[in-house]
Amino acid sequence: MKDIKKIEIIQRPPPPEPARRTNPLARVFDELVRFCQSRSMFMLHYCTGCGAIELPPAMTSRFDMERLGIQPMVTPRQADILLVTGYVSVKTLKRIILTYEQMPSPKYVIGICSCTVNGGMYWQSYATAKVLKDYIPVDVYIAGCMPRPEAVISGLRALMEDIRTGRGDAWKKYYQNYDFYLGNQQRLFGEKWQTPTDVIAEAHHYGMMTDQTLGEHTDLLEQNEVPLDALRTRLKARTE
Amino acid sequence: MSWQELLLELTLMPLLAFVIGLAMVLMMRRIAAQIQRRVGPPLLQPIYDIVKLYSKQTQISHGFIHELGIMMAVGGYIAAEALLPVPGMDGLADKGGLITLIYFLMVPTLGMALGVGQCANPNGSIGISRALTAMLAYDIPFVIVVFGVAFHYQTTNLAEIAAIQQAHGVSGWGMMEMPLLALAALFALQGMMGKQPFEVYIAPAEIATGPMVEMSGKFMGGLFVMQSFQYYTAGVLYTILFLGGGENWLTFLPKIFAVVAIPMTIAMLFPRFRTEDLVRLMWKWPVMAGLLGLAFVMN
Repeated sequence: MKDIKKIEIIQRPPPPEPARRTNPLARVFDELVRFCQSRSMFMLHYCTGCGAIELPPAMTSRFDMERLGIQPMVTPRQADILLVTGYVSVKTLKRIILTYEQMPSPKYVIGICSCTVNGGMYWQSYATAKVLKDYIPVDVYIAGCMPRPEAVISGLRALMEDIRTGRGDAWKKYYQNYDFYLGNQQRLFGEKWQTPTDVIAEAHHYGMMTDQTLGEHTDLLEQNEVPLDALRTRLKARTE
Repeated sequence: MSWQELLLELTLMPLLAFVIGLAMVLMMRRIAAQIQRRVGPPLLQPIYDIVKLYSKQTQISHGFIHELGIMMAVGGYIAAEALLPVPGMDGLADKGGLITLIYFLMVPTLGMALGVGQCANPNGSIGISRALTAMLAYDIPFVIVVFGVAFHYQTTNLAEIAAIQQAHGVSGWGMMEMPLLALAALFALQGMMGKQPFEVYIAPAEIATGPMVEMSGKFMGGLFVMQSFQYYTAGVLYTILFLGGGENWLTFLPKIFAVVAIPMTIAMLFPRFRTEDLVRLMWKWPVMAGLLGLAFVMN
């Protein structure tokens, strides 16, 4: 068993220390920022399952979400909230994770309908990912089949209150416990699963590495990682 | 004017423009909400949005040109504000004039094109190519209008144009003397502000908001700032050319807000035009009205 000492230990640079706050007004400034973040939320126009049908009434003249500063946006780059409205099939879950990783932090996930809580009526389905929070961190669940617009708005208000008081930081868990989330994702999608976003590098860059960030699953990811090339542009139609 | 006064004006004019522009953004959203029978956003919503966007903790930049493009988009409008005379402040209006202003108004779109180009997102490329085509479409009637106004008043100095109109009262306003040009300018304004019949380049559901598709955090915040400048510039320019500028802020503010409210109010009536239809429409009706107006002016 002498050879065991010859196995190289992968050396990773230590995480950078968070910058010290020297500004005496930092706390006031943080309060202001959190207040603005809670009063202006862009939600991604990406809805799965049947719960999406309750969102147009919540947005339009009857309930009018814009009063709370919530408005729909179409690209993940500008979105703050990802609404997962309804059951999540394995194929949809891949897209949800891709979308989630492209959103800039702070970002929040709301699971609407019972299906995102525990699978709901799809509990016995082989193709449905039952518990959403195993794959991405979820801030607020709104249970119901389907929840009415009043319930949706009350859930959004709960999220606003969380953000204002600084408790809405579930997005940090994705960086801090990446190994756990990646493990669950690999269990569904196979060990070759990878996304274009380099979450580990981001966690390192923004100083959110913990000892839970890396583990056996991230090692598996690094083993199987292949560089992603841009899609080839083809002008001519295929002739065969 | 001493250099201290000039410096003060050059600082104050963009700041005022920004604050008024934010109020215009709020007004637009409130009008849209009222038309759809909603309540609409609260009073400080534009500020919440901008602070929130700048306070994003992860920023995705696609490189130097991406950042430079946003700088150009905001900077072009900030430079344009120094050339727009407002009551009490002329800034550089007597040195720059109308021709320089038109050049400055093209800088933001070109800056956007640069920035979006580096993002390499196909939706963004489609959006920006449509935006540039739209610019080509509405700039033709706009240039005709500017030429007609400059010819009528025999000057390209915006401060002088406003002063000549104010000397003759309401009947001396450009709108009364050159109604056809004013109509053509209103068409061009609708295109310039990217409002409904002419907003195919941002098409949210189709190409994911076109040029803005990769803009996140501070970049989107920069674009929100740019939008408030854009509304202000459009309103003030039209007011100076056709509504007699402003003797004081009390008459000036209602005028610029009314000008900006017109495109928003009629925007909700229309679906969108495709890009080629937009070009065809813009090069036909406003150009015809503009040329006819030009003929009357030069007569």
